Amino acid sequence: MLSKKQITFSLLLLACRAVYAADSSSEMDYYQEFPVVLSASRLSQPLSEAPNAMTVIDRKMIVASGFRTIPDLFKLVPGMYVGYYKGSQPFVSYHGSPDQYARRMQVMIDGRSIYMPPASTVDWANLPITIEDIERIEVIRGPAAASHGANSTQGVISIATRDAGGAEGKQLSITRGSKGVNDVSARYGKRGDVFDYRMTLAYTADNGFDNLTTPPNNYPLTKFKATSLLNNSNDSNQARLLNYRADYHPNGIDRYDVQLGLNRDVQTVGWTDSVGNPVHDLLSNSTFLQLGWIRLLDDAAELSMHYYHMEQRQHEAFTVVTPAVQSSDMSRDEIELQHTLHLSDVNRLVYGAAWRNDRLAAQGYAQALFLIYGAAPSYSSSSNTHEYRLFAHDEWRITPQLLLNTGGMIEGDGMGHQDLSPRIALNYHLSPMQTVRMGMSVAYRTPASAESRFRVLQPGALFVPNATVNSPGLMPERMLSRELGYLGEFPDLSTSLDLRLFSDQLSNGIFYDKTFTGTFVNGMSVLYQGFEATLKHAFNENSDLSVNFAHELASSNGPAMLAAGYTGFISSAPWTNDSLSGNTPRNSASLLYALRLPHDYAFSTAFYYQDAMQPFDRGVIDFQPIQRRMDARIAKTFNQGGGVKGEVALVLQNLFDAKYTDYVANNAFNRRGYATLTLNW
Amino acid sequence: MTTGNKIVRCLLHSILLLGWFVPASYADDGSRVLLVLSDSNALYQTFANAYRQNLPAGIHLQQLQRAEDFDGQQADLVVTVGVKAAERVAMKTTQPMLAVMIPSYTYADLLAKRPGNKLTSAIFLDQPWHRQVDFLRAVLPERSRIGVLYSADTRLEITALRRELTDHGFTLTGSALGRDDDLHTRLEAVLAASEVLLAVPDSAIYSSNNIRNILLSSYRRGIPLVGFSQSYVRAGALCAIFSTPEQLAAQASRTTSSFLQTRKLPEAQYPARYEIAVNQEVARTLGLTIQPVELLRSQLEKSPGNPR
Repeated sequence: MLSKKQITFSLLLLACRAVYAADSSSEMDYYQEFPVVLSASRLSQPLSEAPNAMTVIDRKMIVASGFRTIPDLFKLVPGMYVGYYKGSQPFVSYHGSPDQYARRMQVMIDGRSIYMPPASTVDWANLPITIEDIERIEVIRGPAAASHGANSTQGVISIATRDAGGAEGKQLSITRGSKGVNDVSARYGKRGDVFDYRMTLAYTADNGFDNLTTPPNNYPLTKFKATSLLNNSNDSNQARLLNYRADYHPNGIDRYDVQLGLNRDVQTVGWTDSVGNPVHDLLSNSTFLQLGWIRLLDDAAELSMHYYHMEQRQHEAFTVVTPAVQSSDMSRDEIELQHTLHLSDVNRLVYGAAWRNDRLAAQGYAQALFLIYGAAPSYSSSSNTHEYRLFAHDEWRITPQLLLNTGGMIEGDGMGHQDLSPRIALNYHLSPMQTVRMGMSVAYRTPASAESRFRVLQPGALFVPNATVNSPGLMPERMLSRELGYLGEFPDLSTSLDLRLFSDQLSNGIFYDKTFTGTFVNGMSVLYQGFEATLKHAFNENSDLSVNFAHELASSNGPAMLAAGYTGFISSAPWTNDSLSGNTPRNSASLLYALRLPHDYAFSTAFYYQDAMQPFDRGVIDFQPIQRRMDARIAKTFNQGGGVKGEVALVLQNLFDAKYTDYVANNAFNRRGYATLTLNW
Repeated sequence: MTTGNKIVRCLLHSILLLGWFVPASYADDGSRVLLVLSDSNALYQTFANAYRQNLPAGIHLQQLQRAEDFDGQQADLVVTVGVKAAERVAMKTTQPMLAVMIPSYTYADLLAKRPGNKLTSAIFLDQPWHRQVDFLRAVLPERSRIGVLYSADTRLEITALRRELTDHGFTLTGSALGRDDDLHTRLEAVLAASEVLLAVPDSAIYSSNNIRNILLSSYRRGIPLVGFSQSYVRAGALCAIFSTPEQLAAQASRTTSSFLQTRKLPEAQYPARYEIAVNQEVARTLGLTIQPVELLRSQLEKSPGNPR
């Protein structure tokens, strides 16, 4: 905090300025006091000092990628798997494909945890932001429960949206393309002396994947489920959304952040050949309100507090023999308090506490349940959990070369479990440009309510958990992670290199036991080991290349579980009897090249590669052959004069129309393109 | 603040304001120096205290707390602190005058008020361009495109800065901001073409209202801001080179005692001593390795214009 004396001094100086407004040159230009703008919470941690392996996706990369949906961006992260259950139901995971819910990732937008009960998954189609609202994404590869809490046993995605003061003026953007791509957005931003705000109003729509017209992998039509995959892509999506962010900074000490948003999304779900889940619309409404306060204290210390409320209401009506309905209402309130302080010039401590309340109320009615199974036609479920977290991290520069990061989090998950997730990482700067990192951490994942209250008879697309807990003994999963990293900057070659060797051991893993209990149980263990690399190179001032590569091997107790009778571990992968090994693509890579051309043209191209894999919970028909995809974008910016500027961009995806599928074999992604016109004034 | 506190504060202020004439050391040689401050606030008090401490014993020092208090009082030398005091004194008297803590580009105006008066000199507040350029070279040797944003009617000698930069292998990617121009648009254009943003003392641009957006915009692009005061560095600039009121006061004391011996004033001078400040946290975040301040200083001292 500024002392009273300093404030008085600043006010005096400001008063002097007022008197001197007529003459612009005085000593006050030199001795004026400024507020601290780039405080600890503003400054991002450089990769060479982070306790984890981290990939940063910045605005430039977002633009160059040409992507119009957020989850696709994670194809640019080494080792990350982006899958689609349907065109509007993507999921992002690490260490291969999970089921369609990817429950092992922590995903945050501006510090707001957006994975939601009951499945602890992110509904990417129902987020109140568009890809254009994003300033930067940091992806932690590997567990980071010590800093980010439960659900981060595989990794953390942290999305930072644009600052309230990050845009000034008006923007209108229109995108039209094949496959029903139809996006419109309007943005407005205003910067002031003490108050900045920006807002977005957007509509996005597309018709999802292409219809699969011949059976995948040259299977005959007689292959089990082959015919049901054909012409069965019912996954169009329309979202209307709004978001608003304001930053009030009345003095140099306090900063208040207010954010709110909503998304009203209608997506087509279901399958033409499904009795329980026929093609129908799923309506989702999500809203949020977030309030933040940061106060600067003496000696670069900082106190911050945030509160948010978010809610998602979903509804679907469909026909299973007779009309059926399901609806759910999920909400979360969280408050977090954090104190950052310097214990000495070389030691920084962050500690804090948080409390969270998750509520779920879901119900359904399907007469068919009674007619076919003799079960009760109406069902409902509600839960209300209170979680708490206490955390502390210390960043100690033992010598200018040696940085020690230690930290831990204690969590009570509101379901009777209390876990301590510790982390230790040592960063050693071999030279100012080269760093070696060694790290070790333990992370726990709280069972999702969909797991502890699994409902077997579940029509429709929504998940209504069981009224009572039917997996009472379900314990949190544990991940033990060890890694060795290297980061090198070679300014003479305009190159940087990020290498990582890792070994992540999942134990007490939760899986669906379809053989014996029909519930989720503990007992799966998997060891993931591999190597990841990111190379960035600038050929000259006008071109950037970024290459990511991951090589990963998984081995699990799947064969032993299978031998013990757990049929869920049958491996459909032709090359291994370990279903979890077959589920992890051995090699994957991405490449993004951006080139700025004369006359305000910009060109970029991206290439994505992923080895063949057999999704863990899918049948052999959904075998995913090698994926190769190339995208390209060309854009021209123009200055219309009179303060009007703009850009025209054309994006072509899967340029060479390489046949590949995503997770479910009927998700065919043929060549497609779209054009965007953006005007700024 | 309690009422009691307020009263005490008011009293203290009154005492300060009433006590314009501060008793000085005993004058055995009879030399009288009049120190005229532009204002009574802490900045000038700091200067006044340091000036007094550095002055040899036996000089009779009178101090005026505000520029307005000067009304032609007689002295062997009038030392002014700040632009306001300098202008007032230049207008009111032809006595020998040393104007301290004024920007170099305001000196011509001052001289114009005292045509032909040889007994006028100054100690500037700003660093000479060549020192600023040496500093840039020491801090960020890899970055050559220096962005400078200034108002169209600035009195800064931008041409001289450009020449100095070009002579040392830099390029100035500058832009003048007209009265009707939008600051942000201009700033973004400068940032797009630059590797470093060099702040200049131009209050139309670098005001406490604008500094936030300037720092955030440059940070977003990964471009460091080089400032010219400790306050810049605290706010989030990468580094700054500047002279403190104490350093200027010490130089003024030396010039004063030399005048009292020789009755001659030297040419107007730039600050002899300076400070270097680096925001290591900002440097780390931007992925910049900045040499320790001592090394930066010794590198600067290799240049003849930057004395030890």
